[in-house]
Amino acid sequence: MLLLDYQNVLIQSLLTERFSGAPPVSIDQVVSDFDNVAFHVSTPESKSKIQISIGVKCYKELLQYGAQEVLEREYGPYIVSPEAGYDFSILIDLDNLPSDSEGREDLIRRVSLMKRNAMAAPFERAFDDFAHRQEEASKFTRESAPEGVREGGEVMAIHYRDEEAIYIKASHDRVTVIFSTIFREETDRIYGKVFLQEFVDARRRAIQNAPQVLFRNEPPLELQGVRGLADGSNGEVGYVTFVLFPRHLTPQRRQETISHIQTFRDYFHYHIKASKAYIHSRMRRRTADFLQVLNRARPENEEKERKTASGRTFRVQG
Amino acid sequence: MASQTPAVVMDNGTGFSKLGFAGNDSPSFVFPTAIATKGAAGGTGGSGSGRPAVANKPSFLTGGTGQGGALSAKRGTEDLDFFIGDEALAAANGPGYGIHYPVRHGQVENWDHMERFWSNSIFKYLRVEPEDHYFLLTEPPLNPPENRENTAEIMFESFNCAGLYIAVQAVLALAASWTSSKVTDRSLTGTVIDSGDGVTHVIPVAEGYVIGSSIKSIPIAGRDITYFVQSLMRDRGEPDSSLKTAERVKEEYCYVCPDIVKEFSRFDREPDRFLKHTVTSPNGRSVTVDVGYERFLAPEIFFNPEIYSSDFLTPLPTVVDGVIQSSPIDVRRGLYKNIVLSGGSTLYKDFGRRLQRDIKHMVDARIRASEVRSGGKKSGGLEVQVVTHKRQRHGPWFGGSLLGQTPEFRSYCHTKTEYDEIGPSIVRRFNLIGGPGST
Repeated sequence: MLLLDYQNVLIQSLLTERFSGAPPVSIDQVVSDFDNVAFHVSTPESKSKIQISIGVKCYKELLQYGAQEVLEREYGPYIVSPEAGYDFSILIDLDNLPSDSEGREDLIRRVSLMKRNAMAAPFERAFDDFAHRQEEASKFTRESAPEGVREGGEVMAIHYRDEEAIYIKASHDRVTVIFSTIFREETDRIYGKVFLQEFVDARRRAIQNAPQVLFRNEPPLELQGVRGLADGSNGEVGYVTFVLFPRHLTPQRRQETISHIQTFRDYFHYHIKASKAYIHSRMRRRTADFLQVLNRARPENEEKERKTASGRTFRVQG
Repeated sequence: MASQTPAVVMDNGTGFSKLGFAGNDSPSFVFPTAIATKGAAGGTGGSGSGRPAVANKPSFLTGGTGQGGALSAKRGTEDLDFFIGDEALAAANGPGYGIHYPVRHGQVENWDHMERFWSNSIFKYLRVEPEDHYFLLTEPPLNPPENRENTAEIMFESFNCAGLYIAVQAVLALAASWTSSKVTDRSLTGTVIDSGDGVTHVIPVAEGYVIGSSIKSIPIAGRDITYFVQSLMRDRGEPDSSLKTAERVKEEYCYVCPDIVKEFSRFDREPDRFLKHTVTSPNGRSVTVDVGYERFLAPEIFFNPEIYSSDFLTPLPTVVDGVIQSSPIDVRRGLYKNIVLSGGSTLYKDFGRRLQRDIKHMVDARIRASEVRSGGKKSGGLEVQVVTHKRQRHGPWFGGSLLGQTPEFRSYCHTKTEYDEIGPSIVRRFNLIGGPGST
């Protein structure tokens, strides 16, 4: 598994099973997803009505950036008022499903992508903003562009974890996405550096179309004036900057781009852990080899002192 | 709610892994504990040479001799090319992948595979960031402490999980029985009968600690029942007597009867007890097979093993009685009073009732004999109770889920900080959740 899935596998398999016409059963499950997102899948009223609620830590911020519209676009007729303790709920009536199997599959796919869709709003807004600015900027030559156009828009911050955040900024020729990352563990920090260096180098070496990646410990210039930034001087905090160019932001690509970039942090951590597992397996292998060598390294005929029953020894006369 | 993430409960059994979050009433994922890796399997049977093929060293480590090609070509990701669970079984059917079972007889045999199995379970299926969650893992009784340490090394060093608790499956199965209405005091004393697919264990537990010397296992379990059903169907010459059909018949129609002879005559009197089972094969054809005496004969092999096996002849109730009799005398009363069933092969209707009756007979006979010997003294009697409950199938997992959602669960875990301070030996000892002194 190289890339992480975007959808929640449990919700997907659960709905697939329910939609397949199996007899309705009552469900009550709390499911967790990356980044402290919690789902609650339940059948509160009757067994054929499945309610799926999502709780996101930064939902207030997402709402500011237009999450409501995105979710309404995706789940329109299914939305119900949010369950207590959660931020957003939908209700699916099993007796009232899309009649064709494609429609059902599409519904399953959309529901299992709920976390992705909730988090997608600021990205979509930034991409729209970019398109708008690009159009605006094309009216001017490089020198004469008014201040506002060249500067780019507001920095949108999503504090999706306790100590980490995503910052998105659109300007007329690019969209900048900045992740602040934090490493508690020293080993992880080193692995992380190696990985990030690879990201930075990847573009230079082979993949010219990849977005530009920058990594530094101090907040990048784009974040000037943003409050509440973690201090990077002790090396624990790092800032990873992705620069998305217009070719990543075409209408055909943008959904894919959003999905990819959202899973960046989890992808990153997954691979750090996978590399550790790999190194561990090599360490085990090596230890086993050394043990084998040690076992083989016994002296061939060990001189043992032979004793008589009374404890005396014979000495060979030289 | 949002501040406290639910604990992750993982029960990796020999056959199946149960994964989920604490507080739920059923595991989120149940799939085979299997991993399919690139390259041929090291023989699915023998696990002795179970060391996995590790990719060759990158060329810059071999001293630059030979091995042409660009450096970047060596930075492979072969170690990520694997599948677990049902996907593993599917992949192993195709070319290029070999299947491995990292857990054998309840204990982890191949740590490389287990580490990758866990990594995929956490990131692909459960989708959690291990730093954010506490983990509750299970282990079989008599698991060597070294295995615990290995587990802790992987959980803390590879995954940096926030906290870890390793519980014994039998104890969790006892905790799962607290949901039954028959259980009034939440004690951790009792006898656990754990019958899965491969083997049946009878495990006495006193105050949350397993009495290791008295554990007995019986080589009759789910798979044997399936084989027995299959052989009965073969003998009759049914049109379809595949293992899969036998398994379906076993799961859907079997029950435990109080008396075989009476049940046989009842079947002869009431022909509607013979059922028909329809098998639809993948190509769309369907055949009907008769379901007859195997309905009650199959589970009977627990109580009269001689009808199935010629090597093992001790009935389950006798084994249970023997286990309790070999335990320390001061806990026997508690062990008789709380006999808990766990595992898929204990789900037959009236299984618990029959077991309770048979054990009771034995106990009563012994009490009468000793009354006679003591010359007319009366015994106070002994209570025998077999607890059947709704969560039997995934008993250990459910027990873990129950304990994992208690507010004090986290205080019983060892955290990452403690691990860093003390080292892997920290997990040799865990305080008992719900045990004496906890409430």
